Amino acid sequence: MSGAEWWQKALGTWCLVCDALKQKGVRLLAKATVARAGASPRPQSRLRLMWREMNTRQARAGYFFILPSLVILGVFVFWPIVQSIILSLQHWRFGSSVQSWAGLDNYTRMLHDDRVWSAFRNTLYFTAVTVPLGLLISLGLALALNEKLPARPFLRAIFFLPVIASFAIIAIVWSFMLDPDIGLLTYWSKQLHLPTGSWLRDPQWAMPAVIIVSIWKTIGFNMVIFLAGLQGISETYYEAAKMDGASSWQRFWNVTLPLLRPTGLFVLVVSVIGAFQVFDQVYVMTPGGGPLFSTETVVTYIYHQGIQLSDISYAASIGVVLFAIVFVLTLIQMRILRYREVD
Amino acid sequence: MFKTKKHLVVTTMLALVLPVLSACGGNTTSTPSSGGNSDSSQATTTAGTGSSSTGNTQPTGATGTTGSSGSAGGEKVTLTFWNGFTGPDRPAVEDLVKKFNDSHPNIQVNMDIQPWDSLMQKLLSTMSTGQGPDITGIHFQYLPQYAKSGYVMDMTSSFKGGTNLDPANFPPALNDLLRVDGKYYAAPMNFATLLLYYNKDLFKAAGLDPEKPPATWDEWKTDLKKLTKPDQGQYGIAIGEHETIPNWPIFLWGNGGDVIKNGKPDLTDPKTIEALKMWSAMVTNDKISPTGLSGAEADKLFQSQKAAMEVSGPWLTNGFTEAKLNFSVAPVPVGPAGPVTLADSVVMMVNKSSKNTDAAMQFVDYWNSKESQLYFSTQTGFPSARLDLANSPDLAKNQWSPKFAAVAPNSRFYLAGLEKFTQIDADVFTPMIQQITLGKKSVEDAAKEADQKINDLLK
Repeated sequence: MSGAEWWQKALGTWCLVCDALKQKGVRLLAKATVARAGASPRPQSRLRLMWREMNTRQARAGYFFILPSLVILGVFVFWPIVQSIILSLQHWRFGSSVQSWAGLDNYTRMLHDDRVWSAFRNTLYFTAVTVPLGLLISLGLALALNEKLPARPFLRAIFFLPVIASFAIIAIVWSFMLDPDIGLLTYWSKQLHLPTGSWLRDPQWAMPAVIIVSIWKTIGFNMVIFLAGLQGISETYYEAAKMDGASSWQRFWNVTLPLLRPTGLFVLVVSVIGAFQVFDQVYVMTPGGGPLFSTETVVTYIYHQGIQLSDISYAASIGVVLFAIVFVLTLIQMRILRYREVD
Repeated sequence: MFKTKKHLVVTTMLALVLPVLSACGGNTTSTPSSGGNSDSSQATTTAGTGSSSTGNTQPTGATGTTGSSGSAGGEKVTLTFWNGFTGPDRPAVEDLVKKFNDSHPNIQVNMDIQPWDSLMQKLLSTMSTGQGPDITGIHFQYLPQYAKSGYVMDMTSSFKGGTNLDPANFPPALNDLLRVDGKYYAAPMNFATLLLYYNKDLFKAAGLDPEKPPATWDEWKTDLKKLTKPDQGQYGIAIGEHETIPNWPIFLWGNGGDVIKNGKPDLTDPKTIEALKMWSAMVTNDKISPTGLSGAEADKLFQSQKAAMEVSGPWLTNGFTEAKLNFSVAPVPVGPAGPVTLADSVVMMVNKSSKNTDAAMQFVDYWNSKESQLYFSTQTGFPSARLDLANSPDLAKNQWSPKFAAVAPNSRFYLAGLEKFTQIDADVFTPMIQQITLGKKSVEDAAKEADQKINDLLK
């Protein structure tokens, strides 16, 4: 297929060009912002201020340079979003020649679909456990591995290792380990005379099993982000705090934690979004939605409706609702943690 | 700081749109290549890859079986052929394509074998845009949906006497399967029946005669209880519940019940209820099988000698032989309603927008020739869809093929010809079985609810 190859190459080159231009554009925009901040503007309406900010020569050049990247984002991100929203207002099955307007039919159908409700409940359950727990564990690990421990690089590598492996493969390995009849964990539990569970075949335990694996897989990544945040905190703060007689707990509470807030927010936002979109591990560990659909999440249900049942417009409407929920949640998170007023 | 904030916003936006993108299809990031497959098709079972060394027959004179080798003197025609035979039968499929290409100098078939679920993700979207492969192998359950979508070629004119696609060559049930609204939209690609696999060593250990597998339900029940040894973690049988070749319909049929009978749900039929009660009690009270097994897990349980029996198709023979299991196969024990087992088939359809439908039909015809079918059966252990091969002595070159072929007259397809196959199976029937075996609902309640749901789906 030389046609496909040609497109692939063209797109690759386009992306490289965009990237180079974008960097220049972002620099220009930053300069423009700095320049504006330097001047003291008269009190004006916010809109006019924004327009003036956007209309300086430097800023115009900046926007020009990021335009190619915007085109890519537009074509591959914003256009599909718009299409999904349009699709969600239609009746269309994959492959069908009939595509008619449905108004809000797909949305009212969701209200009466038990599986949608249970998928949202399961996703919420997953998010409510994995995010806080994952955050705490990775922060703890980062704090511990920021100390001068023996074999520190080795330990860091060990905790980071699961991040590198593909989730699908990890899920297959864990499914085998958790197998209640021939699994490794079951075997060890029996050797140690511990109780064994049915894990993935038990409607009550399937989700906790998926959660454990998910946390195990993602803490390494969050840990590294936290480590980077910790290392960005200047030693001088701690020295000053020590001189003032602050205990190690006080130093953590009053120095480390506030200065880690931007990092924490980033990890939180990304974790919440990731958790709401959980798919790979659930799909591989509990195909078909798990026992009594106990592990069916929003995205696996979208997959089921859209790909397996070809009801693409209904799937799109669930996707739009998920989009809206995550969007609002993210805005709330940013507001609560007041990203802007940090440091 | 302003800059970092913008950065964060962009990252957030990117992460936000992912679910919407995946709703648009084509997201294949996490498709396992084996096991846990949603279409319960044979080529995806995890029983290892077979060397298929038994009975290597080379069909003689492959040329000429189709009557012509493309239009003489014409340009070379290229056909694309998609299917999901990633399992142990892959080499046999590849061999047949090679034989066809060698014997048809004017036609070149380019085959793309990919896991069933990624194939199904791509197929409809490519076909609906007038592209897609010329020929595709798909599980029979998808045929009604595809035929009605209008992208599949009506090949009724090729099903005529004297050709390899003569309807008289195939069992009536298979003929029904290939037709949608009275027209043929597909030809057989393979045909399978289910038999009872049993572990001879475990039979011996339980004091049973390994040469005398259970023949009736009564014998089966007795043997199952003897072979279930909870203290050793051993089960009498491994019954796949989800993502599997269906087992439970056989239990219903054996008792005279059904999932759908004469176009109407049949789950509240007293015979169906009786069968559900009996078998679920065996599972929940006598623990003859773990609950909640997927097909791949059931295969693993039998292969690791933790289950003494399994009801499955010919695709497992190669893997179990390689694993050096001392096993054999026998017809599924006969229930009160007489002998019955499940039949399964992958069918071949031709793209309506293909530019070379004549060449494609030559390939489809070639595939169903006696020589090709015999080769495929002896290589894989599958029975043939062709009735005239059922008793062929050549079939015996593979020890398993004749056994699977022998039960074909008593075999039935599950939910054949229904556009909503996937909904009925994955959204209603399988959850119903789970509710029953997990003890969440009584048989009557679960069956009544499922009956109602199927009724709604059939409207």
